[in-house]
Parts: sequence; structure tokens; C-alpha cells
Amino acid sequence: MSTAVHLDEITKRFPGVVANDDVDLTVERGTVHALLGENGAGKTTLMNILYGLYEPTEGTVYVDGEPRDFNSPADAIEAGVGMIHQHFMLVDPMTVAENIVLGNEPRKWFGTTVDRERARQEVIDLSQRYGFDVNPDDTIEDVSVGVQQRVEILKALYRGAEILILDEPTAVLTPQEVEELFEVFEELTAQGKTIIFISHKLGEAMHAADDITVLRDGKNVGTVKADETSNEELAELMVGREVLLEPKSAPREPGEQVLTVENVHADDNRGIEAVTDVSFDIREGEVFGIAGVDGNGQSQLVESITGLREPTSGKITYKGRDITRASRRSRIDDGMAYIPEDRHERGLVMDFDLVQNGILGSQHSSKFSSGGSIDWSTARGHAERIISEYDVRPPHADADAESFSGGNQQKFIVGREFEREPDFVVATHPTRGVDIGAMEFIHERLLDLRQQGKAVLLISSKLDEVQGLSDRLGVMHDGELMDIVDPRNTTEEEIGLLMAGEHPESAESETDAADASVGDAR
Amino acid sequence: MSTATIDQLRDTELSYRALLAVGAIAVFSFIAFFGLVFPESIWADLLGILISRSTLSSALRLAVPITFAALGGIFAEKAGVINIGLEGLLIISAFTAVITTAVIGPGVTILGLPAIWIGFFAGVLASLVFSLIFAVVCIRFKADQIIAGLAVWLIALGLAPFAATVYYGGVNTDNVGTTLGTWTIPVLSDIPFFGAFFDAGPAVYMMLVAVPASWFVLNRTAFGRHIRASGENPKALDTVGVDVSRVRYAGVLLSGFLSGIGGSALSLGLGQFIGNNQTMVNGKGFIAIVAYLFGNYNPLGAFGASFLFAGLEAVQIRLQQVPGYAIPDSLIQTIPYITVIVILALVGRTRIPQAAGEHYDTGEDNR
Repeated sequence: MSTAVHLDEITKRFPGVVANDDVDLTVERGTVHALLGENGAGKTTLMNILYGLYEPTEGTVYVDGEPRDFNSPADAIEAGVGMIHQHFMLVDPMTVAENIVLGNEPRKWFGTTVDRERARQEVIDLSQRYGFDVNPDDTIEDVSVGVQQRVEILKALYRGAEILILDEPTAVLTPQEVEELFEVFEELTAQGKTIIFISHKLGEAMHAADDITVLRDGKNVGTVKADETSNEELAELMVGREVLLEPKSAPREPGEQVLTVENVHADDNRGIEAVTDVSFDIREGEVFGIAGVDGNGQSQLVESITGLREPTSGKITYKGRDITRASRRSRIDDGMAYIPEDRHERGLVMDFDLVQNGILGSQHSSKFSSGGSIDWSTARGHAERIISEYDVRPPHADADAESFSGGNQQKFIVGREFEREPDFVVATHPTRGVDIGAMEFIHERLLDLRQQGKAVLLISSKLDEVQGLSDRLGVMHDGELMDIVDPRNTTEEEIGLLMAGEHPESAESETDAADASVGDAR
Repeated sequence: MSTATIDQLRDTELSYRALLAVGAIAVFSFIAFFGLVFPESIWADLLGILISRSTLSSALRLAVPITFAALGGIFAEKAGVINIGLEGLLIISAFTAVITTAVIGPGVTILGLPAIWIGFFAGVLASLVFSLIFAVVCIRFKADQIIAGLAVWLIALGLAPFAATVYYGGVNTDNVGTTLGTWTIPVLSDIPFFGAFFDAGPAVYMMLVAVPASWFVLNRTAFGRHIRASGENPKALDTVGVDVSRVRYAGVLLSGFLSGIGGSALSLGLGQFIGNNQTMVNGKGFIAIVAYLFGNYNPLGAFGASFLFAGLEAVQIRLQQVPGYAIPDSLIQTIPYITVIVILALVGRTRIPQAAGEHYDTGEDNR
């Protein structure tokens, strides 16, 4: 086994920040190497150096044992290094084949014309060689994200990449697609390719990688073999202290009903019914979880509750008041906070800075405005408080929201919503895309709210998250609330069956929705 | 977006185009029916105009500046630069072509080239120069493309009549006394009605070549693919080692080149530049924008739309000459523009290149 990549004492400084501090990294040929770390640990910067997008301030990059001085990605490609970015670099209306050969089109007729037949054949040959299932004639915008990612990989391979860098490749994939991606990794390494992938998910690194290097605050804090380490050891390396991987919540006696949902039906944007006859209630001091595969009506249900969608029928009562048709603002003013599922579309205005984003939803409250004009110094103090309390990095209140990584955007949204001092929080995928340190923090804050007697509605596709945090757990399938169970006395298998739309056999007692006792049945 | 919704979208788009075609045929059959049944009515006159060879002939001639500007607009916008200054490029080339011909002297030939053709190329060159300035301002200095495009229009709109006034003492140039004339292809030009295609000015033939050639360049050459990628996702192009700025410059310069042909052909077809009000270009550059939007950035579609507008214009002109109807001319003159507005309202579903109008910075967003 030979060394494919060796980074020797790489340091990268940006004005005011040391992104990489004296990092050594050695990657063996034909292996999968995971680069693990929290958001902002310097993983992507390090890989951008290897890919020639940045020049290191100090240190040397060796590829195939040769010292390299990459001035641009073109140099890196030349040396057989390819990178698949988190946001795909694909042209949506073009076909798979057109995208793969873009910039290196095979020509005919004295170079005047693209030889489409040859391009197509080359793409077919390439995908067959690596066992990829892609149709060269499909248009990018018509294929799934998983296929788009494979197209990106093919694009790198087409350019002769021997070393593939993937930046957070699983962030956008479904669990099945993640599995398929890892199979692709195996196929590629079997044919001698080397893979480096960036992740902040422990489980993935353990599952897919041969070696794992952990970065923290720009430093390499250790390289370990995946089969000689444990989740706990990795978590500690990443965060620098012991981490509770499983959220823990002590049972608590719930109080008054805060929210009641009765027989709610709602349509999706196409006018097809997405929520069918859903009823449940949430009490003070309670976390009510909703589990289910994404796209089973959770979004429409949440939108009905938060006032972004009008239910077609049914009734929603909040603090004793019928809010079925109440405006969004009246709900905010009445202490309802909302962590939206899509932070780009609903959570933040991407080209506003954090000061402006921090007051979104409260811009009319007397806290920030008087006589129709906004008190910007208070708004700034507010944003800075969120940034420091929720550890948003880098701590620049004046930077546009889009310049932050996804995890930090999420922390800022969570901070903004919790700072409203709400009575009721609707949290949709609150930890999607954040690292484990921040995840633990968000979980703790949710449980704090519960401890203070607030109500929480938690929607997540991560089963361990909803199961660990919830006092009661509703499971949705195809728009219906299949059942409400006690998450502490229900196995993952039972919940999984409900998510798939089947009732576990013995749970035939059709209990009242408000009354959860079904899970006890064994 | 799921595949299902995309398919739905495509279906509706298809049906809406089909609807439009059916509508056009229905209108024509309506006119034909009433025209044949009531030979003394306005329908009969309308039918006579629609099926006359001279209407086709003037529709082709009128389509030239719109089509060339539309083709140019496609290249610029596909590359990611919205060129709203097409109107200005038409004006400046129309004026330069005439004034150059006049200065050289209509009868003179230089190196075997008649003055009128030198004027023609001078018009193209003027348009190229303007589009180069526009490109530098938009690409190098990252100015707002809409504002820069409006500036191109306003500068040309002021400059051409001003220069004419300096030279001739009025906003119109004198007639140079010669035109590009017509090239008649023997035999083929004798075909009834469609013979108009073979008995036309040289610019009409250029147009009939330029339309499929533009389609070929956009869809079959590597350059065309780079143009499209540059307007959709410039970063994708940059990361595979193609210089986005260079592609965008090429796109904008092509729009200048093509618009220049359109503008030169417009004024030299008449032998004169008219500088009153909106000048002789009179919104053709803006109609060109509608035409390529309507044609969904496809050169063939853009030609179809240009030809439709030009056809309506030709019918409109002929209608004014029909005596005996109490319809005011100014109302008839609005026909092409009303059609533009109606089509603009229908055209909502056009797919605009994703990165059109956005500046591209290499090395931006590398974190």
C-alpha cells in the first residue's frame, strides 16, 4: 500500500482566523478516509487546499509522493485530484452526459462540433466500469440528488481523478442513497481509487471509512482506524470533552393543554390531501414528538399549526383560543416559536446580515421598534447575544446569513426562536445539519423549555432524537397519525412498523388520541 | 421539485404552445371562412392581404432586424448577461451604416466593395463597439445589466439623431439613393406565394442562414454548451476549467454582431436613417426581447415569434391602405404591440437561465 496524499504541516491563515493549524494528514491509496469534525473545524478549508482552491500559508502538499504547488483546481485535476462539492456544480437543464464532459467535450468535424455519440458512449463505459446506474440522456433536473452526486463523481473520474474528495456527501441524501453511496465507495476503492470524505457524523465515518482523522479548531487531534475506535472516543476527540450521545429526559408530570389539534385535514401545494384527520394535544411541560418518514404530511401539519397553511377542515386550539384561521403574526405574538424545516426558504433571509435576521418575526414588537422605525442598536445587541450564547461561528453579526455554514445558520435560527421566550415551540428537524456539540446543546435547550413548563412539538426524521426527547410520540404515515405511543416503552421496531403504515399486531386497542398507552402492549 | 411536478410542468407548457397554435389556425380559418362567404366584407380584404405574396415579402423584410436582435439577445442572455440594450445596438448600427455610405459616396467602391456594403459592415462594427463597452461595464466592472442596457439604448437614441443633426441639420439623414436591393433567384422566385423567399433582400437570406446556424452553435458545439452553462451555473463551468468571463464576453459580442447586421439591414434597406421620436427602429429591439422569450431562447422559436410580429406589422401596414373602413389608423397600428402584450402575459412559463443577470466572481464562495 502506498501513500496517495500527504499533507505536511499545513497552516492556513485568513485575516483574523487560523483555519488550519499545522495539520498533518496521510491517506493511503485505495482506502476511504473520513475527515471528521464539527462545523468550522477547518475540514473544508483543508480539502480546498488539497484541491488547489486555496494556497496554504505554510506547509506542503504531496500527491503520489511528489511535492505539489497547486495554483488552481486545474492543477489538482491534472495531478489526479477531483473534488465533489457540497453544492453540486451541475447545469440543471443539460443532460447527464453533457454535464460529465463539460469543458472536455470530445470533438468531431475538425473540432467544430461536439461528438455527442462518443461522449455518450464514454459516459456509458465509465458508469459501467464502476457499476453506476445512470442514464446519460436524463436531464439533471429530472434525476434524484443521489444520481446527481454520482454524476459529479463520474465528472471527476472522466477527468482522470485517482483521488476523490467529497465534501459532506451524505448531507443531502436519503438513508438509502447514503447506503448506495457507500457501496460506490467500495467499488471505487476496489479499483484502486482513493476517497477522502468530509463529515460531521460519527456513525457514517465509522461505517464507511477505513481511517478517520478528526479535526478540531483547525488542528488534527488524531487519526484512528475505524475498527479500532468507538463512537465515544471519536465524539470526545471532536468536541474535546465527554459528550452525551443519547439525549436524556426525566419523566415529568404535564400540566394544562396548550395546543389541541382536532380532526385536521390539510392539502399540499398541488391540492392533494396530505394530512388526514389528525388529532392530538400538547400540554405544558411536555415534548410531543412526531416521527415518520419525510413527506408523510408532517410539513403540512406543521404549517397548519404555525399559520402558514390553512387547514381544509378541523380545529386548532391554542391556549384555549381557536386559532385555526388566525394570522401568523398573532400566533407569534401569542408566544409560538417555530424552527422551520427549510432554513434557506423559511428560516433566514440569505442576503440579510444576522442583525436583520435576528429580529425577523419580532420586527414589530416594542422590543425592537418604536413609532415604525427599528432600533438597530438593540437589534445588534440581540443578534450578538444569540451569536455568543448559541456559539454561532464565525461571530460576525454583520456578515450575510449565506456566508455561514448550514450548521451555524441552524444554531442562529434556534437561538432566535428560543430568545422569543416562547410558551410553545414547534421544532422541525432542529438539529438537521448541525454537529454533535451543537446537537447536544439544542437538545438540552429543548429539555430546558420543557422543564420550565413550556410545550414543545418536535418533528424529526431521526428516530433516536424524537424517541429520546419526547414524552409522547405520534407516528405519521401517509397523512394519518397512526398512533400515539409512549416512546420509553416502545421499541424502535414497533415505531418503524407504524412509520411503514402497519400496526404492530397486539396494538389493536383503538385508544383515544389524547391518551397514550398503546406502546405498552408487547 | 419532484419529477412528477416537472413532468406536469412540461405537459402544461406543451399544451399551452399547442393551444397557441390551435388558436392561430382558428383565427385564420375564421377569417378565411367569412372572407369566402362574404366577399364584400372586411374579412375578404383581410384574407386577401394574408394570402398575398407581397405581404409575405414585407413580413420577411420586417422580420430581419427583429430576428437578428433576438438571436443576439439569446446568445447574451444564455451566457448570463441580459442585454436589454438591443434597441440601442439596432439604432447605432442603422445610423452608422447610412452615414458611412453617405460619407464614402454611394457610387464609390473600395477594394471592389460597393460603399453600401462598407456602410453595412461599419454598422456592424459600431454595434460591436457598443456591445464591447456594455460587456466591459457589465462583466469587468459588474454594473447592473439592466441599467447598463438601458444606458446603451438611451445613448444610442440620443447620439444617432444628434449626429444626424450635426451632419445634415435634421434628425433624419438624407437618402443615400441606393439600397441593398433584392437578390432574385431565377425559377424558384416564380413559385406563387412562397416565391417571396427567393426574391428578397440579401439580409433576408442572411437571416434564413443565421437562424439555423445559431441553433447549431448553441446546441451542437462545445462553445454553445459553454454559453449555456455560463448562464445556468457559471461555477460548474469555472470548476471544469473554462473561463466564464471569456464565454460571457463572447456571448455579448455576438449579440452586438448580430444586432449590427439587423440594424444595418434595416436602414440600408431603405437607404435612409430616420431619427424622429423613437427613430426608425421604433421598439424593434424590445420586441426582439419578447420574441426570444416567446421562443423560449430557441433560435428557431425566436424566429417564429419575430416572423409573427413582422407578419402582423405587414398586415397592419396593408390594412391602412384598404379604403372604405372607418377604423382609425392609429388603432390599426397598435395591433403588433397588443399582440406583444398578450403574448408576454402568456409567456410566463419561459425558463430563464438561472444565473442570467448575476455577476460571476471567480473564487467567490470558496469557503
